[in-house]
Amino acid sequence: MNEHIVKAYEDELNMLTAECARMGGLTEAAVADALEAVVRRDQQVADSVVARDERLDVLQADIERKAIRMIALRQPLANDLRRTVAAMKIANNLERVGDLAKNIAKRTIVIIDSDPMVPLTRSIERMGRLVVTRLKEVLDAYTASDLERAMSVWSRDDEVDEHYNSLFRELLTYMMADPRTITACAHLLFVAKNLERIGDHATNIAEIIHYEITGDEAIATARPKTDDLQRP
Amino acid sequence: MPQPSPSLPLRLRRGLVAQPVVMTGLAGALALVALALVGDAHIMMALLLAVPLAAVTYVQARRARGEAARLQAEVAETHVEVAEGTLSLPYTSVLNALPDPVMVISAHEPDDLTGRRFVMVNRAGRRILKIQREAGLLVTAIRDPDVLEVVDEALFGGLEGEAVYELGGTQERIFRAYARPLGVGADGGRLALVVLHDETDIRRVERMRADFLANASHELRTPLASLAGFIETLRGHARGDEGARDRFLAIMHVQAERMSRLIDDLMSLSRIELNEHVRPLEDVDLAAAVLDVLDALSPLARDKGVVLDADAPGRGQLIITGDRDQVIQVAQNLVDNALKYSAPGGHIRIRLESGLSAEACVAQRMDLAARLSLLTPDHGPERFAALSVMDAGPGMEREHLPRLTERFYRVEGQKSGEKLGTGLGLAIVKHIMNRHRGGLAVESRPAHGTVFTAYFPMAERRLDKTRDVHNVIQAS
Repeated sequence: MNEHIVKAYEDELNMLTAECARMGGLTEAAVADALEAVVRRDQQVADSVVARDERLDVLQADIERKAIRMIALRQPLANDLRRTVAAMKIANNLERVGDLAKNIAKRTIVIIDSDPMVPLTRSIERMGRLVVTRLKEVLDAYTASDLERAMSVWSRDDEVDEHYNSLFRELLTYMMADPRTITACAHLLFVAKNLERIGDHATNIAEIIHYEITGDEAIATARPKTDDLQRP
Repeated sequence: MPQPSPSLPLRLRRGLVAQPVVMTGLAGALALVALALVGDAHIMMALLLAVPLAAVTYVQARRARGEAARLQAEVAETHVEVAEGTLSLPYTSVLNALPDPVMVISAHEPDDLTGRRFVMVNRAGRRILKIQREAGLLVTAIRDPDVLEVVDEALFGGLEGEAVYELGGTQERIFRAYARPLGVGADGGRLALVVLHDETDIRRVERMRADFLANASHELRTPLASLAGFIETLRGHARGDEGARDRFLAIMHVQAERMSRLIDDLMSLSRIELNEHVRPLEDVDLAAAVLDVLDALSPLARDKGVVLDADAPGRGQLIITGDRDQVIQVAQNLVDNALKYSAPGGHIRIRLESGLSAEACVAQRMDLAARLSLLTPDHGPERFAALSVMDAGPGMEREHLPRLTERFYRVEGQKSGEKLGTGLGLAIVKHIMNRHRGGLAVESRPAHGTVFTAYFPMAERRLDKTRDVHNVIQAS
């Protein structure tokens, strides 16, 4: 990175990255805790995830405001402009991830009311861990400006999708076998869907990192993606 | 470092050693003289006794004084040694040699996020937190909100604190982060020390115990119930029936063997999981390991009428970094699995390739097959050696693939032959591959067969020697 003559300018840019990283940490914790709430059937953890979401919204608004201010006052070019825009976009994605985590936590409340379904929660846990790992990897790639690491997250998007499809079938089997489980299973299905979408946001962030570092948006078309609608 | 003054303890010591000797000596001599004067003992005798006593006392006192002086000199010398040693202690090397990550954080303002920087990170910290720069923003190294909070408390509140820090990733690690205030630094910024203590082992042992109990009790119940049932029958109405007894004993034998296999598998799975975050570093001859496994399994294959077709470099030509027993276990489990699902007259192809990139390792090996990566190594510049085992068995539908490495997962409607598996084979393979920082992929097509590919990172210095050296060995 080139040294900026105005020290405050460089500080402001670093500030944006740092705030995104901090927001990333909070988001990661929210997803991991939401998952734990579902798996361990822990109402308290679920409540804390719901309560913490507001902080993410505030942070996102803050990052956006700072980025806009930066663009207006400093008129960054090339590299710096991309860094600013990337921070803004990543904050948006993280805020969405936070909302999805909150949604998972809210569903826990209904899931706890029903009987435990051990094999299902195990599958959810496996899928959730995979998603948490991807989110962590992509944020590591962001803070380290590591293009290759971001791309390795991006190219492995289908793993989460496969888990989702497998879980979908498993849930259908359960619901058909015992209609009393339908309420809980429907909520678990949304939990799985939310996790899958968090995985998609991680992929989005990988694309933003690619754009930030290379200035090239072309990868979005080249992704090998299995078609969701072909299968249930 | 504070220097304790050597004079104070020494003066005390000399007082303790020398003065009592003089006092007791004098008191003894005076007492003798007094005794002689008061009583009617011979005064000459008393004096004769008193004089040597006084002399001995004098000599003792002198010796004690000499001793004390020597001690003083000795202690002073030690202090000098410590003082000199302190000055020359290689602090940087000491910190770098510590196995736990240690970092110093500096900050000026509580609300200035960019102000929190790590100004020193030891080698373990750099490796574990993947930090390349000398100094940088704290949030780029640690994002965990709980850890950041205790760091803030140490920086601005002067409070000592600790938090659990989970480092996700494929090899999960759990640390306890200790934050300690270090006061104010030279530039006026506040300083705090963060030490991460690895608690992965403790957590794993806890989890292993819970998992082992849950799995073992559940899976052992079935064969145990069957054993108990047969014992009851043999003691009851089948008591005199010799034919039934032999038949039942044969079944009981099979069940007992199954239980022992299950326990073996559970134990080895637990062992592997326990060290999963410790990468093995031996050099292992992968080609030899695979060929040994094929030799060992060839009688079984012959009995079943299955052909094992190996395409591998010769012994000593493909070296990887790993744990030999575990590498053998991977090959054994994969080939064993293929054998279980092969029909008589079937064909199993075992291929060993080297110098592949991670992408090439998971490339399509079977036409029109569903393909899934069961384990992907963390990104690295490494080259891999891939072992692929292809059977012509019944294959599986796509939806089963993500769950294959789950413990005790069985594909419905499939029987793994007369010898029931424990349902742990692929879970063991996955954990071994994860420990080796390798990968595992599966391809399957119903009615056509299945390919499992396990790929290990290659020992780096041998890369060139092993590339493109292939010869075909037939084992049948």
